[in-house]
Amino acid sequence: MPGFRDLLPLEAEILRDAQESLLAEMRRHGYRHVITPLVESMDVLELGLGAEARRRLYKFTDAHGEVVALVGERTIPVARLAAGKLRGAALPLRLCYAGPVLSTEAGRFQQRRETYQVGAELIGAAGPVADAEVIALAARCLEATGIRNYQIDVGHAEFFHGIMDAFKLPDAVKNAVRAALAARDFVALEQLLEKTPLKSAEHELLLRFPALRGGREILEAAGGLVRNRRSETALTELGKVSDILAAHGIGEVVHLDLGAIRDFDYYTGVIFEGYGPDFGRPVAQGGRYDGLLARFGRPAAATGFVVQLDLVSEMLTRAARARSLPRLDAAVAWSGSGLATALRLGSTLRLFGMRAVVDTEARAEREAKGWWRAVGAANLVHCRTESSVSWSARGRRTQRLPPEQVAARLAGGSA
Amino acid sequence: MTTRPRVSIALPTGALLPGALRTLSRSGLARLGAEELGRQLLVERPGLRVILVRPADVPAYVDQGAADLGIVGKDVLWESPGSHYELVDLRFGACRLVLAVSNSSKLDGRQTWPPLIRVATKYPRTTASWFEAHGQSVEIVRLHGSVELAPQVGLVDAIVDLTATGRTLRENKLRVVAELDASTARLIANQASLKTRSDAVQSVVTRLREAAAGAP
Repeated sequence: MPGFRDLLPLEAEILRDAQESLLAEMRRHGYRHVITPLVESMDVLELGLGAEARRRLYKFTDAHGEVVALVGERTIPVARLAAGKLRGAALPLRLCYAGPVLSTEAGRFQQRRETYQVGAELIGAAGPVADAEVIALAARCLEATGIRNYQIDVGHAEFFHGIMDAFKLPDAVKNAVRAALAARDFVALEQLLEKTPLKSAEHELLLRFPALRGGREILEAAGGLVRNRRSETALTELGKVSDILAAHGIGEVVHLDLGAIRDFDYYTGVIFEGYGPDFGRPVAQGGRYDGLLARFGRPAAATGFVVQLDLVSEMLTRAARARSLPRLDAAVAWSGSGLATALRLGSTLRLFGMRAVVDTEARAEREAKGWWRAVGAANLVHCRTESSVSWSARGRRTQRLPPEQVAARLAGGSA
Repeated sequence: MTTRPRVSIALPTGALLPGALRTLSRSGLARLGAEELGRQLLVERPGLRVILVRPADVPAYVDQGAADLGIVGKDVLWESPGSHYELVDLRFGACRLVLAVSNSSKLDGRQTWPPLIRVATKYPRTTASWFEAHGQSVEIVRLHGSVELAPQVGLVDAIVDLTATGRTLRENKLRVVAELDASTARLIANQASLKTRSDAVQSVVTRLREAAAGAP
């Protein structure tokens, strides 16, 4: 099926490891894991999604005729939880989750309709310390997966809203400006603004949108150009967040990006994106969405982010091109009365943290070597009786030993 | 932290190539002959890698990050909106997207169109949304070439096609009844390149912008 794919063992294991690293990092920061269903009622999803996002959902009716959908993101279900079953839990709430999300259309970045996301939400905390906590967590998460040379771009939704407010232009023109920016079409934006009678510093700012990024200095530069309270407040907040991120120890990887173009209607404050090296799209996205929880009846400030697990995994798979599937440590074969010994030995090896496979059928030692090669394990242990087993490792002579000694040697040598 | 200091730019084969090479040359970034590029498809210059691809493929190279920048006609972007940034109108390669009918056709202004008009085009998306905006029902026949032929043999009532000088239309006994849109060459950029390697990419963008602005 186009847009869906199988993950074979190498990819699947890299993806699962990355997911575990992400969730473990989130838990270390005090975020509690929740699992929400793959299916949600449309009544719930409609509270948080715009028309365009709703259109992209896989929708169907359940046995009672209620319209339900496969989730296209998981922030809304988490908001539903925070305002519902977790209503009694004290704020701020720190929650994290992982799971697939679906879209009837392949995304802008990937030709995939099923993707995997791992996310964290900090609900009930406003202000720069909370913003910075989530950004720092996102950075630590990318680090935890093993991605190197990542960077985080931090912007502010209010900076743009302030500029748009300040424009004395007809709504039709403002909407066209928003549409051009959402499509990242700066040529159309330029043509629109050329036709307007006003020529202000804020015009200039809009035209330079994609270049409005850098270090602390751009806050000063932009501060000299904006003349409206909303944008000025946004710049002040960004400055504070930037200071706190330096204290978090991730100042190096953070860039300020006033031209960040994201879902304008959803985000209400600081927004950010994480990029890996030489990868043409963001691997993590997030920001403040203070409006969402109120729609579920528990008004609360909230910020969070999502990591695109597929992209992280793809990055790691490529970085590890030479790396093959982690090998099995031991193939345990048996013949005669050796099955019980083989099973016991397998358990012992696994107890030591090794990967071991016990054969499903009896094989003489000679045939077992062929099976060993097919399985691709580092060691072959062949059990013929309860007391005597033979141990072969690549490039070494086969030795006959008591079973306990084999377990000890294997664990000591390769663990 | 960058492992790829060089900025890469994708240029389109075909009608826009001479203008693209002129712009590059005027910007002082690279002086390249069409012949050299056509032979090698990939040319390395200090700080710049130039690759030559089919016009419709430029957005794919840029969206996926295989090229940081691309030069492409707006007409290509109409049909394949992507995740790139459209940064600069490079001002060459101007052409118009027009609705044309055969000289003998009775069709002319809006009031002469039948309730359902049949239109052949290589631009189904743009055509559909234009007719939609004009409240006109349309049946689109998607063709891949020689669109001019379609009305002459009775396949459709009209065509929507790109024209620079109008000569091909005249030669095929077609006349323009409406203009849908206008296109020029655009500079597009990969979203991540602008962020992760912004200094190098922005400096190339600035030079190309200046070269386009200073063009005669």
